[in-house]
Amino acid sequence: MSELARLVRPARVARVARVVRLDARGGALIAAVALLAADGAVAAWRGLEPGVADWDGAVAAVEGSVRWLGPLGAGLAAWTGLRAQRLDYLRALAARSPAVAVLHDLSVLVAVCVLGYAAGALVACVRAFSVGGFGWIHPVGLTAGAATLALFVIVGYLSGRLWAHPATVAAVVAGSAVWASGRPRWGWAGLLPPVELGRVDLFEGLKGEVLAGQMFWAFGAGGVLVLGYVAAVTRRRGPAAAAAVALLVTAVCTLRLEAAGGVVTAPSAREYSCRDWPVTVCVHPALKGALPVLGAAVAPLATRLAGTPAAFGRVEQRSAREPAGVSGGTAAFHLTGLKDGFARRAVREIEAGLWRCPEPGLAGPGSYQAQVSAWLRDEPVPAAPAVPFTRWDEQRRRAWFTAHYPAYRVCGLGPASYAG
Amino acid sequence: MIVESSAIVAKGLGIRRGGRWLLRPASFGIPGGVIGIAGPAGSGKSVLLATLATLRRPQTGTVELFGEPVTTRTALRRARARIGFLPSDARWASGSTVTDFVSYAAYYQRRPSSSVRRVLDGLDLADVASWQLNELPADLRVRAGLAAACVHAPDLAFLDAPLSGLPAHAVRDLVPLLGTVAPTVVVTAESAADLGWCDRVYLMDAGRLALADRVTARLVRPVFRPPQRTMPHIAAAWSRAHRSRGALAHA
Repeated sequence: MSELARLVRPARVARVARVVRLDARGGALIAAVALLAADGAVAAWRGLEPGVADWDGAVAAVEGSVRWLGPLGAGLAAWTGLRAQRLDYLRALAARSPAVAVLHDLSVLVAVCVLGYAAGALVACVRAFSVGGFGWIHPVGLTAGAATLALFVIVGYLSGRLWAHPATVAAVVAGSAVWASGRPRWGWAGLLPPVELGRVDLFEGLKGEVLAGQMFWAFGAGGVLVLGYVAAVTRRRGPAAAAAVALLVTAVCTLRLEAAGGVVTAPSAREYSCRDWPVTVCVHPALKGALPVLGAAVAPLATRLAGTPAAFGRVEQRSAREPAGVSGGTAAFHLTGLKDGFARRAVREIEAGLWRCPEPGLAGPGSYQAQVSAWLRDEPVPAAPAVPFTRWDEQRRRAWFTAHYPAYRVCGLGPASYAG
Repeated sequence: MIVESSAIVAKGLGIRRGGRWLLRPASFGIPGGVIGIAGPAGSGKSVLLATLATLRRPQTGTVELFGEPVTTRTALRRARARIGFLPSDARWASGSTVTDFVSYAAYYQRRPSSSVRRVLDGLDLADVASWQLNELPADLRVRAGLAAACVHAPDLAFLDAPLSGLPAHAVRDLVPLLGTVAPTVVVTAESAADLGWCDRVYLMDAGRLALADRVTARLVRPVFRPPQRTMPHIAAAWSRAHRSRGALAHA
């Protein structure tokens, strides 16, 4: 019988399953799955941008959920490692290798935590899929998150085992939280997992090589710790050599992440979904659900700017790297998600790009500029300052605005602008 | 006193905990047979047992088991495979069945499922094999603990207060078992009177381990004389287990 066939013999599998079940029950790990799943789902959901249906965002949200799950998983693992001592009378005074119990515990812990992580991943992926997710899912990114979570578990468990004191659990949770959320986000060190990818610009894509670097870095670091521990307790050369290889992998990945210079995204091909009525509005396909609302919101501004040098017939969403404003008949704006008021914010951004004041106070509340701006944005026109503009009908206001657009551009409106 | 036949030899062994010496550095040998260690609560019996069983590191000195110092990992591993340990508290497993619990121990001892059945039969646990530990009366819980600790037929068994809190009739039934689980058994109790059935009793108090005098031993010995009808049955079961392991070793 081959070695593999011997390993997967049903009786043997059932026996190992019984041991694992007892380990899981003893550590109350089954109950922990529910807690971790809830935490993972909430963390992933919080990372999703409302109304955005792209796979990059989903992957970033799932990977970001590790920043919440990691400290929790590490704390659970440290507590399990601490309590594992009470089983030493059966597992250390044994014929099996002293590494077996550690590997058993780590397998159960990693499985429990990855299940929690999978719940978050499922939430994000189902949501992205249900709204016709744009782009491609990155399995490497999802795996990088799982590997990072496993690394947290390994660090926590070994800490609890080596320093068996209740304070170790608190120290592990605190240290993990600092590593996950408190370390500097700049430079290459900011790319070491778990990384907060944040909002991925819709006109950019996640760099596959960075995600792969993070994945292998986490695998390598976890491998160094586990294999190093096994080598130490068994005094065998095989695990020691494997730990050295894992260390090499970690070092190479660190260098590759350093070479990325802290940049995790790269510009991608620009694609638009457009709607031509009442004005032509184009947004990233992941936000095409915003088109009707945006079209209705931008139409008054487009109508009131007609006949001025700022007239535009097309409205385009742009990358965060490009400025907003009106140029060449096209109004550019930024849109990261569809939170309440997104259309009003887009109109404000376009309108604010039309003028530039020599002094900030000239566009403040109660100013002539603010009054006209409110009208352009189709918002209630302030009663102050008391000028005829507030009483004029739409036709007269448009005629007046076309004539005084140059003054509006430089915040030069004043009482004299309304004379005659 | 250390003699060549000592199963456990401690050289300069000192154990500290909480800033005080539980056992002041001392050298002693513990011979084979059934050895009792008596001492009041908090005197450090459990810590001494764990230290002799290599589960704890002593502050000073070394321990030799089976005539070999356990200073290297290889020697430690070899010695550990021949030790059985019954702690005073195993509540962690209270939700598992007797079979699961003993199978768990058998897995780590690389023992086949047949050894689980054999030890359950030998300790009269076959009828309650599917019961959860927390459903069992205290004496059967001790038997289940013994089964897990000794499923591999150890050469040296450490039993930490196995009779503590048990009613007299349960003690009478258990005592014959305890002496037969291994060739060398080290068992603890709070009072030397509870260990009168042992071959030799040590007293542990104020950081010292001393042999109880013969008068004390003679006075207490008759209290728990093993019932002759139980002993042969258990002894036979265990001698079978030891023989089969010996045969395996020779093979």
